[in-house]
Formats: sequence, structure tokens, C-alpha cells
Amino acid sequence: MKNYFQDIGLWPRSHNIAYAYVLGFVLSLALTLSAYSLATENPLPQQELALVVALLALVQCAVQLYCFMHLGREAGSRARLFILGCAILIVGILVGGSLWIMFSLNGRMAPDPAQMEQYMNNEDAF
Amino acid sequence: MSTEHIMPGETLSVDDAHKDSTVVFGFWMYLMTDLVLFAALFAVFAVLRGPEFGGSDIRNIFSLPYVLIETIVLLSSSFTCGLAMLAARDASVRGVFAWLLTTLVLGAVFVGMEISEFNDLIAQGYGPSKNGFLSSYFTLVGTHGTHVTIGLLWLIALMVAVAKRGLSRSTMRKLALFSMFWHFLDIVWIFIFTIVYVMGGFV
Repeated sequence: MKNYFQDIGLWPRSHNIAYAYVLGFVLSLALTLSAYSLATENPLPQQELALVVALLALVQCAVQLYCFMHLGREAGSRARLFILGCAILIVGILVGGSLWIMFSLNGRMAPDPAQMEQYMNNEDAF
Repeated sequence: MSTEHIMPGETLSVDDAHKDSTVVFGFWMYLMTDLVLFAALFAVFAVLRGPEFGGSDIRNIFSLPYVLIETIVLLSSSFTCGLAMLAARDASVRGVFAWLLTTLVLGAVFVGMEISEFNDLIAQGYGPSKNGFLSSYFTLVGTHGTHVTIGLLWLIALMVAVAKRGLSRSTMRKLALFSMFWHFLDIVWIFIFTIVYVMGGFV
């Protein structure tokens, strides 16, 4: 059973698995700690800080998918990578679409009747 | 020749390898649907964290250092789960058992810390029924915590199986699926840590 995890396609045959686990652990720790210290030190303006922290999370996600989940381009994991892509598409539509709609509600509201009256009487308003 | 109880050292037939790789793929499909569930909860949280739902006065109640320790505990348990997999490859039943036990302890510490955090929030009057922000917070973080708790029960069952049957084909397969589940929960936690706690502190 020495090659069981390779035989079922969970581990890529070309990976040094022990190395991958240690690398994944060290990188994840470093990324977590840098996100934490960025948040506590607050060296950047809000918007940039949010962007950097979000990027750190995405990088750590990629690191763990590669090092812990052993996702790669080998035959065993290519199908899983494809399903992950489909899931990310759905997640993008779900989260992006929800935020898009919920944060543009004001612009979508019908004006109240008094305001409407004012618009109707003022040609310049349209 | 298809038998469930191939002992360590024996090789897997091509047919059985194919069967088990299908199981791995099926479990991955489940994980991806679970990902969509978490995405929905993240979307709800992102909408309800605004000040109009009570979000703004709440940001100061989280203790970021406490959550950092929680995060490191869960990350370490993901790593020790990987070490259990390596021990399984090397056919070391004792190694697998020891690393799974470490994973169990770390996972239990994580759940314990989360329960104590929830208790503190509720004791301070910040329960899930207070406002929309807290409802979405408890739902998102609590769903993750429930997954980890179920993972701990699964882990206990897995350890019993390893103790009883050693590293048979069926325990190796269960170990593979459990490791996927556990690493998946760690990946979801990265986003909870970042979006809920780290960004909650300044955005």
C-alpha cells in the first residue's frame, strides 16, 4: 500500500509530499502572521490595506490547494481542478452578484411620489 | 481479485485503484458543493456587516490575538493531518495513530476556543438575535465550527478503524477522504479569518 495515495490519484507522483506539507505549513504561517501584523500596525490607507489582506488570503488559499490538497495538472487531479473552476464560477456569480445588487439598491429605488411630480414638471430633470 | 482487506505491502489492482479514485472524485464534488454553501453565507455576511445592521459598533468586541491563536491551532492540525498521511504511506500504524490523536486534540482546542468566544459574546449581550450583523456572523462562523465538530467525530471513528483493522485498503481510503475534508475546512477558515476578523478590524 506504499503508493496507495498515488494510485488513487490523490498525490501527484512527481511531488515530494513531505516537502510539500512542510512548505505549505511554513508559508501559511508566514502569510497568516503578515495579514495579522498588517491589520494591527495599520501602515496603509483602508482601501489598500483591504486589498493587500485579500490578496494574502488568496495566495494562502492557492498554497494550501497545491501543498495540502495536492492539486496540480497531473491526470489524477485535473478533473478535480476542473470542478474547482466550476465551483469558483458559481461562487463568483453568487457573491459578486449579491454584493452588486445589494450595494446598488439606492439607485434602483423608485422615487417617492412628491419627487416624481417634481421630475414630471421639470423637463431638465430627465 | 477485489478484497477490502489488503494488508500493508500488497499492491492495489488497477481496477481497485480506479474504484477508489472515483470515490475521491465524488468526495471532491461534495466539498465543492459545500464551498458554494459557505459562499452563500459569506455573501450574506458581506451584506449584513454594514452599520445599518449594527455592524459598526460591534467591530471592537472581537479579540484579534485570540483569533490568531485559533487560526494557528487549526493550521497546525491541518499539518499534523498531513503527517498522519505520510505515516500511512510509510505503513506506520503507530505514527498514523499518534498524528491523528494530535490532530484530534488541536481540533478540539479550536472548537473549544470558538465555543468560549461565542459564550463571551452572548454573555456581553451580543447574541445572534441582537442584530442582522451578529445573526450572519454566528451563522457563518458557527457553520464552520459545526463542520469541524463533525470532522472530530469522524476522526474518532477513523482512529477506531485504524486501531481495529490497521492500514487496510478501506482505512487508507477513509484517511484520504478525511484529509481532504480537514484541509478544506482550513481553507474556508483562511477566508473567515481574513474577511470576518482581520478586515472587520479596519474596513
